Amino acid sequence: MSSNTPSSSAGGVGSADSAAPRRNSKRPKYSKFTQQELPACKPILTPRWVISAFMLVSIVFIPIGVVSLFASRDVVEIIDRYETECVPENLRDNKVSFIQSDANKTCTRKLRVKKLMKQPIYVYYQLDNFYQNHRRYVKSRSDSQLKDNSSWNDVSSCKPEDMSNGQAIVPCGLIAWSLFNDTYNFSLNNQQLEVNKRGISWKSDRDSKFGNDVFPRNFQNGTLIGGKTLDPTVPLSKQEDLIVWMRTAALPTFRKLYGKIERDLQPNETIHVTLENNYNTYSFNGKKKLVLSTTSWLGGKNDFLGIAYLTVGGLCFFLALSFTVVYLLKPRQLGDPSYLSWNRNPGGH
Amino acid sequence: MSIVTTDTFSWYQVTRLVKQGTGRVTLGIGDGANDVGMIQEADIGVGISGVEGMQAVMASDFSVSQFRFLERLLVVHGHWCYKRIAQMVCYFFYKNIAFGLTLFYFEAFTGFSGQSVYDDLYMILFNVVLTSMPVISLGVFEQDVSSDVCLEFPTLYQQGPRNLFFDWYRILGWMGNGLYSSIVIFVLNVIIFYDQAFRAEGQTTDMAILGTIMFTCIICAVNFQISLIMSHYTWIQHFLIWLSVLTWFLFLFVYGMLSPTYSKNVFQILTEALAPAPVYWTATLLVTIACTLPYLAHISLQRCFQPMDHHIIQEIKYLKKDEKDKVMWKREKTKAREKTKFGFTARVDAYIRSLRGRLHKKTHSLKSKDGNPS
Repeated sequence: MSSNTPSSSAGGVGSADSAAPRRNSKRPKYSKFTQQELPACKPILTPRWVISAFMLVSIVFIPIGVVSLFASRDVVEIIDRYETECVPENLRDNKVSFIQSDANKTCTRKLRVKKLMKQPIYVYYQLDNFYQNHRRYVKSRSDSQLKDNSSWNDVSSCKPEDMSNGQAIVPCGLIAWSLFNDTYNFSLNNQQLEVNKRGISWKSDRDSKFGNDVFPRNFQNGTLIGGKTLDPTVPLSKQEDLIVWMRTAALPTFRKLYGKIERDLQPNETIHVTLENNYNTYSFNGKKKLVLSTTSWLGGKNDFLGIAYLTVGGLCFFLALSFTVVYLLKPRQLGDPSYLSWNRNPGGH
Repeated sequence: MSIVTTDTFSWYQVTRLVKQGTGRVTLGIGDGANDVGMIQEADIGVGISGVEGMQAVMASDFSVSQFRFLERLLVVHGHWCYKRIAQMVCYFFYKNIAFGLTLFYFEAFTGFSGQSVYDDLYMILFNVVLTSMPVISLGVFEQDVSSDVCLEFPTLYQQGPRNLFFDWYRILGWMGNGLYSSIVIFVLNVIIFYDQAFRAEGQTTDMAILGTIMFTCIICAVNFQISLIMSHYTWIQHFLIWLSVLTWFLFLFVYGMLSPTYSKNVFQILTEALAPAPVYWTATLLVTIACTLPYLAHISLQRCFQPMDHHIIQEIKYLKKDEKDKVMWKREKTKAREKTKFGFTARVDAYIRSLRGRLHKKTHSLKSKDGNPS
């Protein structure tokens, strides 16, 4: 049975000409699309393709892995965990009451620079066990209020931090209410190290999400103060600490940008940090860390990307080698008809 | 099996008897109004439109215009249809598991509060726009072998009745692939974007950024996976796969351009935060390859050690051995059309029964000759 003519109306023998149909032909119009005869590429997985594919992946991935690893090794990071150390020893049994009291919260820390740190050096505060990604926390904000002065009363999604003393809070919500309020002052050789706190937030946030005509109002005015107070004379678009904080972090361990130090730090220098340990992480066993870090083209210190690339590249190289060995030891000739099932099992199923 | 009936038996009763007696899938074909009963009774009803009118066609599952097209219907379209549906369904499971499980893994990091790491619109568009078009083109256009090869090798049709492509091994294998992909996507992204800055300007990742990155990895991995499944690439498949991936980036760009009242956290996420960050592109590439590597290794091994019939035939066609070695090609075609093994044991049983019947008659007639009334 020939299948070169996919459909034909004339069932009888002979009359196959459609140019001058003798009877009314109901044959549908031929098109490659409807007859499923579109030109197609039918690649098959030959040993050559398999080995080339794995080799290509390893050739691409291993250099990327090496480059990423070098970039990450260049990054210098200083991490200092201070939340327990900054509570006076005699009060460490009840840290929560210490943090909630009016006691002096100033604390001095010493950071040692191990390697040369080129400017700009980014200062972060890192919080652990703080679930900024909890659903009810994430919901508790009012974007319309932050953007526009005319929506100052739009506080419905901000419960329980929506009203205080019968007045709407600007900015409302739990996220703003729990704004981080530890402060850090750096000095090197008795000289103040300037920390640039401008430009630490995303430009799109400053320009479009936080209005320059919105001023804090009635903020941290209730019985329970959750964090930092805001200067009511500064518009929200310039309150960069708030803008950085309002971008809810993805994981319970996160860092947020505090500022930038714009001078180099030489190795073996000691930086004195005077910090105000105001923020209460003790109620939920959270940790607080101060981080100074340089960056590379990849970002902060993360060996994992480089290691992962090297692992996948190495694995592909190993697979390419093993497939080469397999194809040499047990070659199966392509298109060998002895592998067809009726030749392999002549008895049938 | 051949059946001859007298007028007292109608065809639909015959069909029902065959269905009940053998437990097989039955196909009934007819062209007249008197065949409607049989067509409806059979598992698959094929109606022929023609001189006797359209009643058979209206009652049938499939209709053809001539009886001889039945062969094409079964051997070409039936074979393709089985494979297409099996692959489509397995792929659907795979991509939804790969996507959905990442949401559950993230819950472990949010105190199980039910916070979604993806923006709502991402999730709506996932199954509707971003991953549906390639799999539809797989279901519509996929051909493991061309139609003339299907007609030359009717044994390939047996892959359907023997259920080689939709058995539990395949289904669970694809689900396992989806599970593995979801774990790779989630774990790699969480560790790469853990707490440190992801850009040279020192910014750290927030939830919207992590969600967008993970979603990009899912889209790229899932679309790359389907390109490994397909064996028949027309321009449509090429176009739709690329279109799906590009639509994701285009959507992200356009969504980010909308006012923050609508786009909220996704506002300018691609243009400002992600596109200029090299780690975004390197992470996507890494995760895409890591997800599809086991599947590639698996099919390479399978092709090497346990090639299936259509693989061998594809290779013969690819290397043009059918033209070079016409004798071999004709021999294999003939063997593929040999008395099918299906029904072989039934015929053997029937032969044994007929032999027994004859033996019984002989002993019966011998005994009656002796005068015993048994």
